[in-house]
Amino acid sequence: MEYDEERDLRVSQLSFIGNILAGFTHEIKNYIAIIKESAGLMGDMIKLGKKSKNEPQEYLEIIHSIEEQIEKTNDLFRYLNRFSHRMDNELSTFNVNETMEELIALLTRAANQRKISIEKDFQKDILPMNNNPSMLQFLVFHFLEEKITKLDKNSRLIIKTESANGSTVIRIIPKGNLLDADKEKGYLPYEIQDKVVRQLGGNISQEKEETVIKIPITDI
Amino acid sequence: MAFTKVLLIDDEVEFASALAERLQLRNYDAKAVYNALEALNSIYSDKPDVVVLDLKIPGMDGLEILKTIKQFDPTIEVIILTGHGAVESVKEGLTSGAFEYIMKPVDIGELIAKIEQAKKRRDNK
Repeated sequence: MEYDEERDLRVSQLSFIGNILAGFTHEIKNYIAIIKESAGLMGDMIKLGKKSKNEPQEYLEIIHSIEEQIEKTNDLFRYLNRFSHRMDNELSTFNVNETMEELIALLTRAANQRKISIEKDFQKDILPMNNNPSMLQFLVFHFLEEKITKLDKNSRLIIKTESANGSTVIRIIPKGNLLDADKEKGYLPYEIQDKVVRQLGGNISQEKEETVIKIPITDI
Repeated sequence: MAFTKVLLIDDEVEFASALAERLQLRNYDAKAVYNALEALNSIYSDKPDVVVLDLKIPGMDGLEILKTIKQFDPTIEVIILTGHGAVESVKEGLTSGAFEYIMKPVDIGELIAKIEQAKKRRDNK
């Protein structure tokens, strides 16, 4: 049977969006659970008559916790909204740091579960680029997920961005032991990876354990 | 009268501590722990009647914690707590000896009913 590159790319993209949404809904559910329990606790303190000298302070702490969770929920919705709108147009002018921030926000939970911290090392005055932001996120996501899966617990994963020689350079730098376990999760078939890189007009190289993605700033 | 000892294992500190306090207000001897090491220490030292276990906690697979609890004392009842549609993990948990499961966000009435059923089953063992 003939290899259908386009179909496989679409399937991988749907899987990518599914993964992002699953992580997002899981995180939101956790925030809602905390808000529900905190509100429930205040209700219980009133109904079941808990009395203590610190009562007003305790209420204030619970209210503060609820406000914090609402703020986190709001932030995550903002990232998801921005992420979703990346798909509005095939080509747009965007700030690569913002697209990476969205990915990090939506992947932090998965990384935390494996006790891996994701760190940003972004060039502050990075040049805006004109390309397909959604496709770029799709590509970077797979490398991040692969590293998160393969990295040993308590490791770090650094995402570095910079503008250099007319290109935007994204470096994915693992700091920790990379396990050689045969874990397929996060692996993007080479044919699809190659197609995406061609569409973005860039290239990928491996410098030891560091993955380097170079995408031209203006041309495709 | 001895209070039912409940151990909550969840890495969401605010969630688990609020839930523990809500159970304490209802006269349960409830305690919350937030990682695998604290969880195992508490199981060995406190010997809870019922454990409410989130399957996704850093440091150890929740199913491994469940199996360790059952090896230590098969009469300790475990209620799986899950905030996501991890149907396969929940199924595996139930076949590995978990008493029941409950979804986040938790309904306190439903959780208490399940804790009571679990305690009754432990007492009858």
